[in-house]
Amino acid sequence: MTAITGSTALWYASRATGVVSLLLLTLVVLLGILVNRQGRLPGLPSFAVTGLHRSLSLMAVLFVAVHVITAVIDPFVSIGLAAVVIPFVSAYQPFWLGLGAVALDLVAVLIVTSLARAYLSRRLWRGIHWLAYAVWPVALVHSIGSSHDLRSGALLVVAIGSALAVAAAGLWRLAGAAREVPRAERAAYVLAGAQRQARRARAGAGNGGAR
Amino acid sequence: MTHHATLPRPGRGQWAAGDADGGGGVLPRLMPARAVPVELDEHLGRFGAPPYRGAPRRLIGDVEAAGLTGRGGAAFPTHRKLAAMAAGRGPAPVVIGNGAEGEPASSKDKSLLWFSPHLVLDGLQLAAEAVGSVTVALYIHRNPRLQARLAAAITERATAGLDAAGVELIEAPHRFLAGEESALASRASGGPALPRFKPPRASQRGVAGRRTLVQNVETLAHLALVARYGPGWFRSAGTADEPGSMLATLHQADGRTGVVETMLGTPIADLLRLPAQAVLVGGYHGTWLPGAQAERLPLANAALRPLGAAVGAGVLAALPGDRCGLAETARVVRYLALESAGQCGPCFNGLPRMAGALAELAGPRPSPQAYADLQRWSGLVAGRGACHHPDGTARLVGSTLRVFAAEIDHHAHGHCTGTSGRPFLPLRADPPLDDADWT
Repeated sequence: MTAITGSTALWYASRATGVVSLLLLTLVVLLGILVNRQGRLPGLPSFAVTGLHRSLSLMAVLFVAVHVITAVIDPFVSIGLAAVVIPFVSAYQPFWLGLGAVALDLVAVLIVTSLARAYLSRRLWRGIHWLAYAVWPVALVHSIGSSHDLRSGALLVVAIGSALAVAAAGLWRLAGAAREVPRAERAAYVLAGAQRQARRARAGAGNGGAR
Repeated sequence: MTHHATLPRPGRGQWAAGDADGGGGVLPRLMPARAVPVELDEHLGRFGAPPYRGAPRRLIGDVEAAGLTGRGGAAFPTHRKLAAMAAGRGPAPVVIGNGAEGEPASSKDKSLLWFSPHLVLDGLQLAAEAVGSVTVALYIHRNPRLQARLAAAITERATAGLDAAGVELIEAPHRFLAGEESALASRASGGPALPRFKPPRASQRGVAGRRTLVQNVETLAHLALVARYGPGWFRSAGTADEPGSMLATLHQADGRTGVVETMLGTPIADLLRLPAQAVLVGGYHGTWLPGAQAERLPLANAALRPLGAAVGAGVLAALPGDRCGLAETARVVRYLALESAGQCGPCFNGLPRMAGALAELAGPRPSPQAYADLQRWSGLVAGRGACHHPDGTARLVGSTLRVFAAEIDHHAHGHCTGTSGRPFLPLRADPPLDDADWT
């Protein structure tokens, strides 16, 4: 009996940590986009936004680890150790779990390259970090496909909300990148703005004198 | 206008006629006595072939005893760079002579390369031997006439069998920051001439990932003479702390400019015709000093550093009394802002705003906010770039606020003491690269 109770506990733990992992990954993606756009959160300096992005991504790794380990050792379904990292070789739900393995591999690459960032060229790190935009949709499809949890009720609302939030942030990111001033013109752009401001200030001061 | 007419009259410590291989204290050492470029046969007749030591490291002791420091502006001890490079492990390092002086007010490196190319090329070979390198290049701004002359000189030397390593000419874009060490390393690796964050420094990972020694071309020319005549000879000019001669670019108050070779420690009053309203020391990343103060100072870091100034790459400009120091500096800071590489936020956001505020101070009845903003922004940009562009600009602005405080007060009341609106400080390099322009 204890064995059955223990094994359902593992099954529940795997599902729960899976959902939490998805939520954490959502937050990590949103914060990552905010860091890229040099945005702020109310009451936080910009370095704290970066710090939050990093801390939450490491936390997500912990939850993903528990999610994967509990799923593997849970005796209800047989997921081989190889299937954890090699996509589409699982006996149980090969496709949906395969997506999970893809997401896990990508997350591993992102985390390892970020921890080793000091030893990589900035360009290489940036190039690899673009993979973050692939991880999230893969993880979402894995979540919806491999479990019924997200297909109804409150968790469906959470899944749709997360998808909308990531999509909106992605569009904001693209719009911001489109408006970006080329490196060579940045100083001139700011200078023109500063001069406009100075002219307005002088015109304002002139009016004040006339009054 | 010929360039010779723009040369200051030779005075004490200046580029007067003399033999470089004669008595120690006689100048010029680097420049020819007559303003005619030194061809290879004349160079060999006067100095002989480069005195190779036959193995790496052997020259470094002499360079250390001579006390030679970098003439690109930082005045870093040359022997320490050489020793670190020679001691490093891994593939043989790359050696690059840096002749890219982006500073519009400086033309000493261009002049040296034009008039004494073979001393620089000797120094390049000797430095390469000292650190065990066979990959050697010379980095200069795009300039077809100078490039053609140097290419011919390099070919001539190769034919004569003088050079141990082939020298490649690398072209730098016409940007203020192109000569910055990491920008140079990037350009020489085939990338854009943009400064990079350090570490790694070029000495750790530079051109194509290899350890790279970057030395200013004037430093290399001095090194070529130290290798020939020894440290004692080198130290017979200059001061004990700052030995040797140096090239300086002078901007006289009457508008004349020229390059002179002078001893370190020469009184500024011997170089510039004073009195002047103020003297700019060290170029556009340098410092304004009040004219009365500069008159009593020597051109030496020992005297200048306590005042927040430095010899730098040897630019001295005497601001005439009929110009407004605020308007002059505002033009320069605007130029510096536009020369930002646009990589670091504090630089490409801060410098244009500082330029705007300084332009406001240079105008009539500026808002009091402009002064406060300038001080605040100067503090905010310093130390926060991949290179020292924001730091240098903040230094110039800080000295402007100090030295021209009275003028700021005048402007607040709607007056300006400047009566001439003609720009004084040059914003585009106009190098003396023509024999006809010199003689």
